[in-house]
Amino acid sequence: MSVERISAELALLREGGVDAEYYPKQSAVLYRSVPTSGAALSLPLASHVAVPVPSGYPAAAIDLGGLPVGSPLIGRAKGAANGPVITIAGQPYQFISYHPYQNEGGVWDPSKHGFHTYYTWILAWLGCLK
Amino acid sequence: MARVPEIVLAEDLNVTFRAADPELSHLRDLIFRRYPHEEWATFMRCGWRVIPDGLVLTLAALDPPGLGDMEEKVGNVLIREPYSRRIAVSAQAHTLAVGLVHSHPQGFQPCPSAIDDDMDTYYGERYLRGFAPGRPYVSLILAHKRGDLVVSGRVWWRGRWHVIKRAIFERLPNRTWVNGRRPPDPAPEARTARLSSAFSEEAAVRMRLATVAVVGAGGTGSAAIEVLARAGVGRLVVLDPDNLEDSNLERVHGSVPQHAASQTPKVVVARDHVRAIAPGCEFIGVKGSLPQSEAIDAVLTADVLLGCTDSQHGRLAISDLAARYLLPAIDAGVLLEGADGVVTAQVAQFRRFLAMDPCPRCRQMITQWRLNQELMSPDERQRRRADADAARLRGEDPSVYWRDEPQLDTVGYLTTAAGALAAGYVIGWITGRFDAPFSTLEASLLVPSFASVREESADAECHCRMARGWADQGARFAAITAPSHWPEVQRVS
Repeated sequence: MSVERISAELALLREGGVDAEYYPKQSAVLYRSVPTSGAALSLPLASHVAVPVPSGYPAAAIDLGGLPVGSPLIGRAKGAANGPVITIAGQPYQFISYHPYQNEGGVWDPSKHGFHTYYTWILAWLGCLK
Repeated sequence: MARVPEIVLAEDLNVTFRAADPELSHLRDLIFRRYPHEEWATFMRCGWRVIPDGLVLTLAALDPPGLGDMEEKVGNVLIREPYSRRIAVSAQAHTLAVGLVHSHPQGFQPCPSAIDDDMDTYYGERYLRGFAPGRPYVSLILAHKRGDLVVSGRVWWRGRWHVIKRAIFERLPNRTWVNGRRPPDPAPEARTARLSSAFSEEAAVRMRLATVAVVGAGGTGSAAIEVLARAGVGRLVVLDPDNLEDSNLERVHGSVPQHAASQTPKVVVARDHVRAIAPGCEFIGVKGSLPQSEAIDAVLTADVLLGCTDSQHGRLAISDLAARYLLPAIDAGVLLEGADGVVTAQVAQFRRFLAMDPCPRCRQMITQWRLNQELMSPDERQRRRADADAARLRGEDPSVYWRDEPQLDTVGYLTTAAGALAAGYVIGWITGRFDAPFSTLEASLLVPSFASVREESADAECHCRMARGWADQGARFAAITAPSHWPEVQRVS
């Protein structure tokens, strides 16, 4: 686990006002209050999103997005809710089958990408609710 | 009569100093600029890593003297205060260790003088303590003596002075003097008499003093291990996470059916084979993989690493060690392909990983989905396969979730040839008798020209360019970390 690297990536996000925290025990990053396109759909305007740190990171690409269990966004955000559930700070998160670096056109480059840039993929994901 | 050193050096820690080009060449140009009669010096920055029985220091950068920083009119090293102050202030802005390297005149012993003792005590124990707290202070002396590059060093670390027991310079043999003494040459062995006559007795001595790490003890690795043990290498560190299976018996040197029947770890097969060939060779076996922390600890005192893993994550880890810890490596792999009952490709590939060489990503060696799958836990693989099956039933592309990989076939004559040749390049580096004059060498049994050489370049923005020699202090630039689901490392000796 590259604690130093993830800490540096999240520090970059915090400089831009994004609230994100690394949870080493769960091996996941939690982005807090990510805006959504839910206004027109009477869905929440923001949601916390958990993202697992992949095995071998940064060699392996970041993947998936986790929404709070029971969130009305599940089924409205792209991807099947068939991943595992993890609990962060007492809240369980359901991982959704969202794969930016496999079928969304992303090409993983660990010298450029990380949890700081993955936030953009999460924004895009929750910005296209159906 | 030998002078009694004023600084008392502890010898209980195994302290290793590593250096590589381009900093190493720059360092030699600098400190030998007034050679052969007068000394010169430079401050340096070093990465470091604490290992269970010692400390590994790596040359990360030089902070050379500017005009007027040192006294030109005297033959010995005399550093002026502005230079010291500049180094101390800059140390507050980085996390690396600070050190000083200086030359002794040609023919002189690389032993510290009373002036050197004063200088090191001043910087290590007092001056730099407030500016670089908790970090080692490193002091090295280099000299040319009877054709040898000779080195001695010491480090102030946790309130004591420790002797540097080994200085390992990338592709540059040297003699490390320990606590003012030239280590005795190991006794010659009859087994290596032909190697001695071909490369000289000095080369054979270098082999006996050397440590080689071999990552992977399968077909390619076991062949390399055998060649190195027969060639008289003094110490072997062998890593492999797997047990021997029936299908390995065609390739793995030293293996017998009983090993497969009892699922003997490959490192144990290697250990027993080495002991049978070369009882005097010290063997360290590690059942584990790079970059697990204990595996890194085990290989960092090696002169050279030989990669025989045939895995993408293994190559990334080896390249990372070459760049951040200045551990030079040769990676060997084989490829066998066929179609319609005919063998269409039989290739052995050799890739050099020096500190400056491009990483596997820069060389386009990485297939991301394959690497992702290599690193997944068994649970995740199972889940991905199930997701792929479900996608297939829905008429969607299953490869988003999982791609089945055909078993890579290989044969013993190819792995043995690749391992033996790679071991040859390792011997060339250790003895200083020949180099691996390529970035990538591809030898194909099925093309008339047999071998081709490629030179590859690095992406200037790649992280492999960012932390050369930073060791643990460059952890945020690591190309790979060890997955937590991998089994714990076990030592075999």
